[in-house]
Amino acid sequence: MTSNPKELANLLNQTRSAPLVEQELGVVVGGSISKGLVVRLNHHTSPESLAVGRYVVVQGDLKRYFCMISDITLESTNPGIQADPPDITDDFLKQVYSGTMAYGKATVTPMLVIDENDQIGPVKSIPSHFTKVTTATQQDVSRVFGEESSTNFFVGSPLELLETQINLDLKRLIERSIGVFGKSGTGKSFLTRLVLAGIIHRGVGQTLIFDMHNDYGWQATSEGAASVKGLKQLFMDKVAVLTLDNDSAVKRNAKIDYVVQIGYHEIEPEDIALLKNAMGFTDTMVDAANTLARLWGKNWVQRALNASAEDVEMISEKTNIHTGTFDGLQRRLQRFLKWHFLSEAVVENSAERILHTIVDEQRSVVLEFGRYGNELGAYMFVANFLTRRIHNAYVDKIEKALGDGSPKPPNLVITIEEAHKFLEPQVARQTTFGVIARELRKYNVTLLVVDQRPSAIDDEVMSQIGTRITALLDNERDIAAVLNGVSGAASLREVLARLETKQQAIIMGHAVPMPVVIKPRTYDEAFYSSLVDARPRAANPVAALSGRPRAQL
Amino acid sequence: MSDDPRFVGRVLRASTRGFDCGNHSRKIDAQHDFGNYVCAPIANSDAVFAVGLIYKVEVKDDQLISELVLGGELPNAILNDQRNNRIIPVEVKVLNVGYMAYVNGERRCVHSLPPRPPMSLADVLACTEDEIYDFTIAFDFFRIVLQASEVPSDDLIAAAIQRAAEIDPDPDGRYRFLVNCGRRLAQDLSHDVKRLKHILSLIHPSMEA
Repeated sequence: MTSNPKELANLLNQTRSAPLVEQELGVVVGGSISKGLVVRLNHHTSPESLAVGRYVVVQGDLKRYFCMISDITLESTNPGIQADPPDITDDFLKQVYSGTMAYGKATVTPMLVIDENDQIGPVKSIPSHFTKVTTATQQDVSRVFGEESSTNFFVGSPLELLETQINLDLKRLIERSIGVFGKSGTGKSFLTRLVLAGIIHRGVGQTLIFDMHNDYGWQATSEGAASVKGLKQLFMDKVAVLTLDNDSAVKRNAKIDYVVQIGYHEIEPEDIALLKNAMGFTDTMVDAANTLARLWGKNWVQRALNASAEDVEMISEKTNIHTGTFDGLQRRLQRFLKWHFLSEAVVENSAERILHTIVDEQRSVVLEFGRYGNELGAYMFVANFLTRRIHNAYVDKIEKALGDGSPKPPNLVITIEEAHKFLEPQVARQTTFGVIARELRKYNVTLLVVDQRPSAIDDEVMSQIGTRITALLDNERDIAAVLNGVSGAASLREVLARLETKQQAIIMGHAVPMPVVIKPRTYDEAFYSSLVDARPRAANPVAALSGRPRAQL
Repeated sequence: MSDDPRFVGRVLRASTRGFDCGNHSRKIDAQHDFGNYVCAPIANSDAVFAVGLIYKVEVKDDQLISELVLGGELPNAILNDQRNNRIIPVEVKVLNVGYMAYVNGERRCVHSLPPRPPMSLADVLACTEDEIYDFTIAFDFFRIVLQASEVPSDDLIAAAIQRAAEIDPDPDGRYRFLVNCGRRLAQDLSHDVKRLKHILSLIHPSMEA
């Protein structure tokens, strides 16, 4: 025992004059790298004041550990108090018991380490016992997430630090495929529009958006029924809006650059292979389509649709296609007749025109589906049809560029909704989308997949998604799918399951140095104004001064 | 006999664990209250004072008292004579809970048993409010009281806390002091919820006189 009780008392913070309010949250009392650090909360720290997903900093002897709260528990030193709890309506008793016999513990997951040289790196150690834990300051967050710049795009603020910016590294973002996940109604389209706006504004690449519900082009409707500007209104010349349904565009008073039409003669059997589940094509029917294409050439669809009895008899004699199979194929192809964007004669090749818009005009493309957005078969058919051709063209251009040094086409991010329909295990390995997801940036094409059922997406494809932006998910399988392969997944699981239903998302992966829960920036006039100025918004002065490099997990 | 209002008595017997002191029955007053803080110089030192808590005030009998108790009505003269002129002292028992050492004029309080006991007939004084304040800046002496089996420790610690709280003229300061004491007790008695509850009921701010 020290000979000076004043000193000892100060150390123990139990002095006659000890204030009831202090600064730090608590001290580290245990834990591990894999399971996180256990923090005993100080008596003044109410568990109610904490939330999973918030940042804390553990100041070790040599390093600062940047951590995220992943769990909060209530503990007591004596189980007897649970059997006979005190009356905490008595303020005196409440203050006596809280933080002494009854206390809170938090589990915090170390995400990054700032060493003695102010270098940020991955966590390979843990602080020692009884290290103080404090809430992260604005400076801490800014140091980790950097400042807004020509490639860093401000997407939101961490919880409780709403003055602080979380910036996405857009160059890293588009290097690999991106996933935007969340239950229906949690703001996936809003988050997607935000990210796409960043990509277009900063000019790090072009985007091709298969806009199922007309959310991105000219104008969209927010949950509050107010209209918000689409990408075309925000960027005008940088964006071309196409439609499959001009009537819908006219009714919505949307400004359209041109109407996409696809000729029956352009359809290849591979274009219907993806529609097995959506339209009931069987493997046998797809094989039959291949046979018919070889037999009839480019007009195989029209010939199949208009086949006479003689044609059917000829097919059964000359090919191995069973009459029943042909009938089935024909019935399914007849559904194409309802899709008025398909026609016998088209004035131009839509895939080539889109490619020209993206590569030569350096403009992003939003393809609105109008009324066809409600037909999954039509959506999948068109997305697959165009993506196959554009991807093939990109492969040619990149290989040519490698061979003769000609310019490479711009980075292209293809956005698809209901992505699991394109990327489910049965079809992902056979479709262009599966190929794009797996080949990363090899051919300058990546995907932005928007989906509410990530568990239905092929595991291999999910593993290749570099950055995951996830709003609330409450299905265990979906949560597991999103967290598959993410460092510290166990602790993030709690965070993910407890996001607000609106205006909260967790971003993890390639484009951020560590997983972060954000409140997305508002999509309003202020946001529109910020995009008008070509320069990035004034960065956080603290971060600007620090100028420290960002680390990656 | 000292006329100092702080005078509690003179040491009758002592050990490092505690000491007993005596005083005339007519001198017994507020300074002898149960739970009060008293001090006495330890043997052969004028700079170190044992600090203790009064845990028992004992009025002893003798043969004459026993006979008078059994007798009939007592005349006032006899009653006053027995009270004012008795030659048997009132014994005050003290539990040592620490000591104060004066180094270069500065008072340092230590919450541990004193190195030596006070000598016989040493003056025992009630601690001043300053001394009590300094001594109760920390609460480590609680442990000595709570572990003392020979004293009514629950009531003693509660009385000592109430006495220390009284010296703060600020009601908020008193309340905060009681809360901090309660929190320390909750830690020290985390194994014994019933005992803790009893002591907390004794130091509850609503019990303030």
